[in-house]
Amino acid sequence: MAAATTPAKRRTLGQIIRRLLLIDLFKGLALTFRYNARALYEPRDGGNPLQAIYTEQYPKELARVSERFRGAPRLNLDPENGASLCIACDLCAVVCPVDCIEVGSIRREVRDGDKVNKKKVLTTFIFDTSRCMFCNLCVEACPTDCLELTQSFELAVYHRSGFRWDREMLEKGINYVRYTK
Amino acid sequence: MNVIITTLLFAAPEWVRTAITRERQPNVFWSEYVVWPLIQILIVLFIVLTVVAYLVWVERKVSAFMQARLGPMRVGPWGLLQPLADGLKLLLKEDLIPSKADQSVFTIAPIISVVAAFVVLAVIPWGSTWATIANINIGLLFVLAVSSISVLGLVLAGWSSNSKYSLLGALRSSAQMVSYEIGMGLSIIGALMFARTLSLNGIIEAQQADRIWYVLFQPVGFVVYIVSALGETNRAPFDLPEAESELVAGYHTEYSGFRWALFFMAEYTSVIVTTAIAVTLFLGGWTLFGLESRITPVAFSIVVAVLLALLALLIFWRGVMGEPPSIMRTVGMAAAALFILAAIALAVTHPFTEQGARVLFSVGVFAGKILVLIYAYMWFRWTWPRYRYDQLMALGWKWMIPAGLTNIVLTGIWFVLALPKPQGVFGLMREQAGRLLPTGKGIAYFIATAFVLTIPITWTLLATINRRTRDFNLAEQRQLQMRLRRERLEKQLQKGARESEQAQV
Repeated sequence: MAAATTPAKRRTLGQIIRRLLLIDLFKGLALTFRYNARALYEPRDGGNPLQAIYTEQYPKELARVSERFRGAPRLNLDPENGASLCIACDLCAVVCPVDCIEVGSIRREVRDGDKVNKKKVLTTFIFDTSRCMFCNLCVEACPTDCLELTQSFELAVYHRSGFRWDREMLEKGINYVRYTK
Repeated sequence: MNVIITTLLFAAPEWVRTAITRERQPNVFWSEYVVWPLIQILIVLFIVLTVVAYLVWVERKVSAFMQARLGPMRVGPWGLLQPLADGLKLLLKEDLIPSKADQSVFTIAPIISVVAAFVVLAVIPWGSTWATIANINIGLLFVLAVSSISVLGLVLAGWSSNSKYSLLGALRSSAQMVSYEIGMGLSIIGALMFARTLSLNGIIEAQQADRIWYVLFQPVGFVVYIVSALGETNRAPFDLPEAESELVAGYHTEYSGFRWALFFMAEYTSVIVTTAIAVTLFLGGWTLFGLESRITPVAFSIVVAVLLALLALLIFWRGVMGEPPSIMRTVGMAAAALFILAAIALAVTHPFTEQGARVLFSVGVFAGKILVLIYAYMWFRWTWPRYRYDQLMALGWKWMIPAGLTNIVLTGIWFVLALPKPQGVFGLMREQAGRLLPTGKGIAYFIATAFVLTIPITWTLLATINRRTRDFNLAEQRQLQMRLRRERLEKQLQKGARESEQAQV
């Protein structure tokens, strides 16, 4: 058995002093102590990366999402008369890369004085959140700013069918249990 | 004959005595040696077990803060009821015994560990006069002897589980504990030279008389003791036996439920014990710059009141782990009001006797010092990475033990030089009430020799011993093995090729 030894490298004076006084160990101790002290006196601000404690206690504190976060879809209503802004133009369904939007519409005769206009009116709007990849293309395509991806991210449901959001859910939002503890 | 009768009478109940000797006499035996110690034992056990439970909580909190986390927050306000939940969970868990295990040994192993850890609590000097359960004159020896039995618990646990993981873990931890016990034993001798007694209360009183904490006379001894104690309790950078991140579990792999909890109780109790011994030997025990013998009931009441008021403030202080939980805002109001009322009542009435105040103050000081050291243990644990096994052994045998020995020799030399004039050279000590006390110059001399001479000499010696210690290169060794094997295989292949050629020819 040949012995495998490599002669230890010569150390500089600085390295020797650092090893003698265990500087590296104390550096580590100082760092952890600083964190510990800050955790005790800083006011809590969950999810703030500049804080000593980064934890956000999720159900109690709502998670912070960034400004451009895209979450649950929503169909906006006209604030004046409460009617849907959607004109059933189907552009969002056309542009959707994963085909998760189905727009159902009927043609309705709308009298405008003497004229009789045929107008498309939205009946159903199905949005499959399980297939959606939140790419925002449908929102870009929407000519009336009706479809929108909101900041809410709580999309969990108890059954697969719950992922298919109908028009009512899209307009009012889903109601999920709000835990506060 | 007479002697036997008197000794028998001494241990006899009172009615037997009066019946035999026909005279009434107070029987101190029951009160002094049975009832009062039992009360003390119950109090100490209750406090220590509570502290052990809450040390787990504290450790989880401290580690969380050091890692930018919150730690337990869900059970009770700030997770304060977590120990309760943990205990309940462990009690309700199924208590498994492996079918191939040696049942009797398997059940007795954790008990040995726990008993070895708890028996030591009897001689710890929790405070002055009546606060210590048993002030025996070989206290330190007793502590070292009994705490080494806990190794047996680990070995038996690992062996009886009949599992390779347990056995390997037990081997590791027993080797580690046995090696670090040597360093521990060597490190305390320097302090014993100054104290000249093994009684733990005696050591503290010696520091009182010398007007110094021995950590200043014994910096090397203190460091060696702390490192050895960490190794001894299987904690911090030496937690090889448990090594949550790399092993299955260690010696308690096959344990579950309450037996498993017993091992952890033993570990945390031994943490308390080792810190208590460190405080006793090096940090002046329950003394605090002479305050413990001078404090008046009024002053002590004010101290307690201030602490209570601080506790009340803490409930409402938003900084600590954030917003007080809703339960604390309602219950905390009442609690804080009660605390403040109690503080005011204490400050006004100061319901302590002279001696009671002093003893309670000394107990508080001792507890405070222990807590500081325990925090240091946790601090080390969550800062430094774990040692590899060979490094651990190298640290024990090639650093700690030589350092301890050097410290003993050098301390002895400084001590002999400083003896009073006829024997010594410098005459920096004086005889007083059968004790050798260093004079004012003597104290300066001892501190100077310790820091200016002992530390550098020890370092040079250790550096000399370990000069080529890093020459051994594990990676290189592995490479060498692989190279040799490759060469061997190549040779075999060539041989095979040659043979096949010859066969063809």
